[in-house]
Amino acid sequence: MEPEPDHTKPSTSAAAAGHRKHLAMLERLSKRAAAPAPSQDSPVAAFLSRFAAAKLAAESALSACRSSPDDAQPSLSAAAAAIDDLDRLVAEASHSLPPYELRSALAAASDLRAAHRLAASDLRPKKSFSFRNKSKAPKNPPQDPPPTLPPPPDQPNPSVEAILPGLGFRGRRDATLVKDLRVSDEKDGDFTLADLVSCQVYLKGKCRALHVHKLKDCRVFVGAVFGSVLIEDVERCAFVMAAHQIRIHEATATDFYLRVRSRPIIEDCCGVRFAPHALKYEGIGEDLRDAGLEEETGNWANVDDFKWLRAVQSPNWCLVPEEERLQTIDISDVQEREYDN
Amino acid sequence: MGLLSIIRKIKRKEKEMRILMVGLDNSGKTTIVLKINGEDTGVISPTLGFNIKTIKYHKYSLNIWDIGGQKTIRSYWRNYFEQTDGLVWVVDSSDIRRLDDCRAELHNLLKEERLAGASLLVFANKQDIQGALKPSEIAKVLNLEAMDGSRHWQIVGCSAHTGEGLLQGFDWLVQDIASRIYVLE
Repeated sequence: MEPEPDHTKPSTSAAAAGHRKHLAMLERLSKRAAAPAPSQDSPVAAFLSRFAAAKLAAESALSACRSSPDDAQPSLSAAAAAIDDLDRLVAEASHSLPPYELRSALAAASDLRAAHRLAASDLRPKKSFSFRNKSKAPKNPPQDPPPTLPPPPDQPNPSVEAILPGLGFRGRRDATLVKDLRVSDEKDGDFTLADLVSCQVYLKGKCRALHVHKLKDCRVFVGAVFGSVLIEDVERCAFVMAAHQIRIHEATATDFYLRVRSRPIIEDCCGVRFAPHALKYEGIGEDLRDAGLEEETGNWANVDDFKWLRAVQSPNWCLVPEEERLQTIDISDVQEREYDN
Repeated sequence: MGLLSIIRKIKRKEKEMRILMVGLDNSGKTTIVLKINGEDTGVISPTLGFNIKTIKYHKYSLNIWDIGGQKTIRSYWRNYFEQTDGLVWVVDSSDIRRLDDCRAELHNLLKEERLAGASLLVFANKQDIQGALKPSEIAKVLNLEAMDGSRHWQIVGCSAHTGEGLLQGFDWLVQDIASRIYVLE
């Protein structure tokens, strides 16, 4: 065994001009994308140095597009690519990283993404984001093209946003949002929480399905969902709810206080924690019973991580230690309203 | 004797049909299978992997492969394509935000050569939820009209929760497959 020199620290070309360094970084990044890097002795140090490199690439691309707005488009796409790289790096390394590194890496990546979004919206305020099918170059053109060609599947579609339906809270910041589903006459519907920042959300009563998308720093209290809950892209939140099924995608640093009939699942999550349901309001017993949720199944702790299909405990989730758990919260006195704090 | 005719012969004897159920996660695939089989749908965990059910349906025996739809495991769908007679694509009609994903995944699937001959049933599920899109709207958003003209397809609104529409959908699918495979009967 020969002593292994620490060859993982970043190359010390600090003296080089910023621009040249930036180009070098980009080149290195693209090389790495083409061929997976050989495994290193210290995965954490290796990750950190690669992460730092990718981060630098993203930052310098962003600052380049700020300093020269005329030539911003390429820089912007370079930044986007670098940020994607960051995300991928973190995802690849998430299993082997200590929690602190993971969290700070995630925070850095999401900050950069926010900065990129800002820069992009400054540059092209008119162009709105839309999903499209990637039009793949036909690798194997059909030998016998049908006489009538169908219209390409990636033609612009009727805007989905335009038909977004009813009930929900969307696009709010620093607000307290309360809805009592028991007082509305509507039949069982779904409810949507989307694009909320620093909000307190109280939903009393029952609903058939709950969709949650893009929440940051929110606290969400939900009575009973006698169907499924789909939670995507949440950060630093707390959820207290009871439901038949719960799927959680892309959650970071978020706590879930659940009562659930089946096993909750997580996918692409990290730093999520679970605890038993802890919510009270006048009539919640009835709501839970009507929804078939009166029984505590203990499934709040039986989490399946689709990114960790092995027998040993997933590093992406854990239980909330008992001494840290929220006390049962009584929201009886919260009245239906929406107001900005 | 070609392979195809051998397969046909075997299938004719057993009157078997192989049905592949796919779709995004949370669309209700497992609930549909259990409901149509008359089983309890009260406690269903998101599918990690797949379930197989053999169901007697009229004079046929349906082998239904219900494949998990979580993003991580969608890449494994292709392991189940072989010899599929009928494809059931399940859509959560209330999940409007992800319909673009849904369309992309479906059109990806339909490019698959091994599924070229399979009849396609699209279930616009969760019609019992207020705010769910109607089957005609789902068909539009999924761009079903743009499919290759040779594909046999049908969209049916349903609710796995109440059971409405499920038999109608499977009736169409089974008859369509039968008319292709058991053409001489």
